[in-house]
Amino acid sequence: MNSRQLLLRLLLKAVWVRKDRSLTALISVAVVATIATAALTIYSDLEGKLSHEFRGFGANVIVTKQQSSPLTPDDLSRIDAIAGVKRLVVPVAYAVAASRGGAKVVIGGADLEKLVQMNSSWSITGWSATGKATQAIVGSRAAEILPEGSSINISVGGRTKQFAASPVFHSGSDEDSRIYMNMADFTQLSGIQPSTALVRVEGRPLEIQNAITQLSAALPDAEAKPVRQITQAQTSVVGKTRSLVLASSAVVVVLIMLCMVATFTSSVLERRKDFAVMKALGASNRTVNSLFAAEAALLALSGSIVGYILVCGIAFGIGKVNFEAAILPQPVLLLPVLLGSVVLALLASTAPLRLLQQIQPAGILRGE
Amino acid sequence: MMFLRLLFESFRRQKRRKSVALLAIALGMSIATAMIAVGTDIGDKINQELRTLGANLVLTPVEDTLDVNIGGVNLKPVSEGAFIPEQDLAKIKGIFWEHSIQGFAPFLSATESVKTHHGETNKGIVDAQKTGTVDAQLIGTYFAQPVHYGKQETITGVRSVNTWWRVDGDWPQDYAAWPTGKPPDALVGSQLAQQAAISIGDLVDVGGYKLRVSGILNTGSAEDQAIVAPLHIVQKILGQPNTVRSVNVRALTKPEDAFARKDPSKMTPAMRDRWYCSPYANSIAYQIHEALPNVRVEQVRQVEQNQGKVFSRVSGLMLLLTLAALLAAALAVSAAMAATILERRQEVGLMKSLGASNAGVAGLFLTEAAFLALAGGLLGFVAGSFLAHRIGQSIFGSSIAVHPVVLAVVIFAAFAVTFLGSAGAVRKAMQFDPAVVLRGDA
Repeated sequence: MNSRQLLLRLLLKAVWVRKDRSLTALISVAVVATIATAALTIYSDLEGKLSHEFRGFGANVIVTKQQSSPLTPDDLSRIDAIAGVKRLVVPVAYAVAASRGGAKVVIGGADLEKLVQMNSSWSITGWSATGKATQAIVGSRAAEILPEGSSINISVGGRTKQFAASPVFHSGSDEDSRIYMNMADFTQLSGIQPSTALVRVEGRPLEIQNAITQLSAALPDAEAKPVRQITQAQTSVVGKTRSLVLASSAVVVVLIMLCMVATFTSSVLERRKDFAVMKALGASNRTVNSLFAAEAALLALSGSIVGYILVCGIAFGIGKVNFEAAILPQPVLLLPVLLGSVVLALLASTAPLRLLQQIQPAGILRGE
Repeated sequence: MMFLRLLFESFRRQKRRKSVALLAIALGMSIATAMIAVGTDIGDKINQELRTLGANLVLTPVEDTLDVNIGGVNLKPVSEGAFIPEQDLAKIKGIFWEHSIQGFAPFLSATESVKTHHGETNKGIVDAQKTGTVDAQLIGTYFAQPVHYGKQETITGVRSVNTWWRVDGDWPQDYAAWPTGKPPDALVGSQLAQQAAISIGDLVDVGGYKLRVSGILNTGSAEDQAIVAPLHIVQKILGQPNTVRSVNVRALTKPEDAFARKDPSKMTPAMRDRWYCSPYANSIAYQIHEALPNVRVEQVRQVEQNQGKVFSRVSGLMLLLTLAALLAAALAVSAAMAATILERRQEVGLMKSLGASNAGVAGLFLTEAAFLALAGGLLGFVAGSFLAHRIGQSIFGSSIAVHPVVLAVVIFAAFAVTFLGSAGAVRKAMQFDPAVVLRGDA
């Protein structure tokens, strides 16, 4: 039996002979590894998840062209390509119409289904996304003032149109004074083609900024502007939450170190005799140290594997509860977590190692 | 007497061991303090960050005609529709939830033709080549106007409500009346400034009145094409004294739930009281409507419906992290206590062989643990308050105060984790046979 085999055997025996002790240490390492991995998983996915929450604010980029040169299908396909996979692009056009009573009202043309999807914060009564093609949706203030019976008559430049005064939407902004109709009906009535596109780019603040830069480059005759109020809130909330989670994770790591130092110290103290026997039999300080360090590393490795498996369940649960969508544990994280916990364990074992070196075989074995 | 002496000697002789245990408890508890403080204060902090979203309530006159507004350009003639009397606005600060009202900004706007005189300064030097006329929105508002209600004075306006507005140059002051001597200051939107080549210090002619450009305004929205001037100046130019067209209100609200959406007129008196006294956007809107009956109050759904969602996500996340950190702190303190007690098995053996009962030994160790917990908890609380303060300063730029209640919680937690950590080790130490321990065989 060469020395390497002996070392391995000592290592395994040490674990096996004191099963209950090893299990306690393993559990404590596994618990801290679980907490650390959970914090890391949340941290790595936080920006994306939190940015996702900002989709409810609606369009975050607005592309406008001069009314004389409306958006072409080519322009729209370019916007589609830049805005990313989870984009939502709604071309809109506006005109001023007159009601039969002479009141002026702003009418808009858009794909109503997409428009309602974009403005998910609107409360809208009588709307069914799957039902028959709706002709128009009416803002709450327009719906108070304009209807004659159950229908609204409006005219633009002599052409008149009549449609039902529902569904009605509430937005709390001046959109409540508007009527949105199908693009086809709108163009027929007003002869105006859409020159504005409401774009929702879903992504991190930096991705939104990049999309705006690309849009400006791809559509030189149009203007792409962020809705700053929303993008700025997103940037600050996401950024600050990220730093906060990072700070908390650092705190957790410090505590884990503390926990490991304590665990390893008690492990050395309990097994002073084993080490004394080894030293009495001629083991050098180095061999004893490496044996102990190997034990610590083994403990950390197995603890963090158990922790990682646990965290898959926990992160999944947290994601479901807190973000209504699972945070998937990332395999990419496995390696750093394993390496990290081994490094932490080795660092933590340096303190008890000093204790180990102080062991005088004769004294200990005599029972002093 | 003997007990006290044992206790005292234990601390005197094991200074190093005891200070390690004390350090562990203090560290664990300082982190617990900091995390509890940050976790409880995160709501206010995130709400502050969400202020950049702007107003969540908007006030318009009940009798008003429809807005005719495309791309931020108001096409409704200034004489048409209804107004809100400006002197009524202070009543907004008189409602039940006055402390929730963080600020408001009134608006009055109309399209005006703007004559630019490039290079004309107060000295009246005009380069005739460079004058031009453009149509632009003239918007009047408060910038940072003191508002009096009863004895209290608050400063409010777009600077605190629309925090995403940026100004190159100086914000104008809120004039009470038309200033004599020199023309009043105003802001010019960045796009308008670029198109009409207006720069800071220029004079512009709006509806026959001269305004001095004190700054260039950048908002990222329709105001970039407008002239924004103090409300009283715009009222004078438009000939509409003491009127505003709409008011944007920023209020701190509780996220809307099913109860918030109920109709107050159909509630029982007890339910209605509870609804009225909760800071929902709906109940604040209701209270403003009570104070200003001729005003329609709507929640800006885009802001109000979403900020609650973001807010609850972030607070939920912090709650989880706080719990995780507390758990880790408890584990670490328990493990440290277990280690210090395991070291003293021989002492236990000696005491027992001299006739000490199990209860006596446990009593000694637990009293020691209690002293450590108290000292560690106090130290930890002080260090944790400092840590929380630093976290608040570096992440949010404002301090996080630690509530005194946290002290009680932390001391209690320190006792709990120290006892729990010691209990297992004390029990284990007592299970050894004194003879075996003293022989050194354990």
